[in-house]
Amino acid sequence: MTIIYQVITASVILLVGWNLFREKRLVEQMATALVLIPLILRVLMIK
Amino acid sequence: MIEREGGYGRGWTAVVLLLMTGAVLLTASHSFLAMRVDPPIYPGPGVTHVVALSDYFEGLIGTPADTAVYILEGSEPGGTALVLGGTHANEPASSLTAITLIENAQVTRGRLIVIPRANHSAFTCTEPQEGYPQTYTIETPAGPREFRYGSRGTNPIDQWPDPVIYVNAAGQSLAGSEVRNLNRSYPGSPSGNLTEQVAYAIVKLIRQEDIDISIDLHEASPEYPVINAIVAHEDALNIAAEAAMFLEFEGMQIGVERSPANLRGLSHREWGDATDTLALLVEAPNPAQGRLRGQTTAKLIVEGIDPYYVRAAQRGLLYVPFSAEGHPIDERVGRHLQTVATLLDVYNSYTNDDIVVAGIPTLSAVLEQGLGAFLAPPSGPESGL
Repeated sequence: MTIIYQVITASVILLVGWNLFREKRLVEQMATALVLIPLILRVLMIK
Repeated sequence: MIEREGGYGRGWTAVVLLLMTGAVLLTASHSFLAMRVDPPIYPGPGVTHVVALSDYFEGLIGTPADTAVYILEGSEPGGTALVLGGTHANEPASSLTAITLIENAQVTRGRLIVIPRANHSAFTCTEPQEGYPQTYTIETPAGPREFRYGSRGTNPIDQWPDPVIYVNAAGQSLAGSEVRNLNRSYPGSPSGNLTEQVAYAIVKLIRQEDIDISIDLHEASPEYPVINAIVAHEDALNIAAEAAMFLEFEGMQIGVERSPANLRGLSHREWGDATDTLALLVEAPNPAQGRLRGQTTAKLIVEGIDPYYVRAAQRGLLYVPFSAEGHPIDERVGRHLQTVATLLDVYNSYTNDDIVVAGIPTLSAVLEQGLGAFLAPPSGPESGL
């Protein structure tokens, strides 16, 4: 079950990361970068 | 992707933000991972050997739930007592009492077995949205010694997801989050979740080591009715009542509660039902736990002073007296130590298999000298004054 959770989370990270580079508004880029923090902590099972 | 005109976002800004994200991640990871490193415990001269809980159930080997079991064996044969600290890692007087016993107690007859971090995984995280500090410090004569403040339940990294309804091994239906609560998981199960496996290992230890009397140390919020109390399985009620009487004679207010027969999964119920041990649970007041508390800081955990609880007490909302002096950790640990010593004394009056333990600091000694006087220096006994 954990591996499925990690695959889903990693997929979301890739999509959010993709959006970070395609986004044209700086404020949206900043919000996107903030969203990445908990997602990466979760996929690495740190928090 | 949503494209908007007029922004300042570029490829290089994304790279800069990504680097900043990385820096935040490194800092946060360092902080969270530090929670998985146990602050040291320095076994005193009374500790004869240290084993692992996984020695009693090998399913715990290599898991974050495996924890140290300290054995203090006397030169003369006698009975065996178990003291459990850290069932709930957010009740610091519990594990601190166990650590004080490990670092001070000396058994002359029988055995004392101490587990200071019963739910080891719970010491690796704090409760979400509670604002708890990760650590607190106790002043010793050689300087401040750091301890971990943890969570009520097993770290959700180690055991997840929580069900909507948790039906424990004893058949009791509980709220889903209780699935990570060690004191709702007894008698445990070798094939259950991680918390149930810990519960199973502890029950197996009680059976295997032929434990005569088992004491599970806790703390409760000041607005919780079962507080400053000994909760006893019916087999241990006489001992609890007599101990409470002696403690009251000594000026320590403490009540006795009978373990409810229909509330299953708790230590005082399942240990008593599933084994031959005399099962007891002891509660002290922890202002850092309750809903009415103010700012949650390491100072509150150690000093136990909270103006909101003083006001609540004035309005008769609490089950313990609460003055401006609060309930400091010295008082809470001192109460537990005094209660453990008295329970063992009373137990000895009923048996020929005595458990004689010297070196347990009294409540008055802890209040007078401070808990730190009875703890090893921060870097170990050799670094002491």
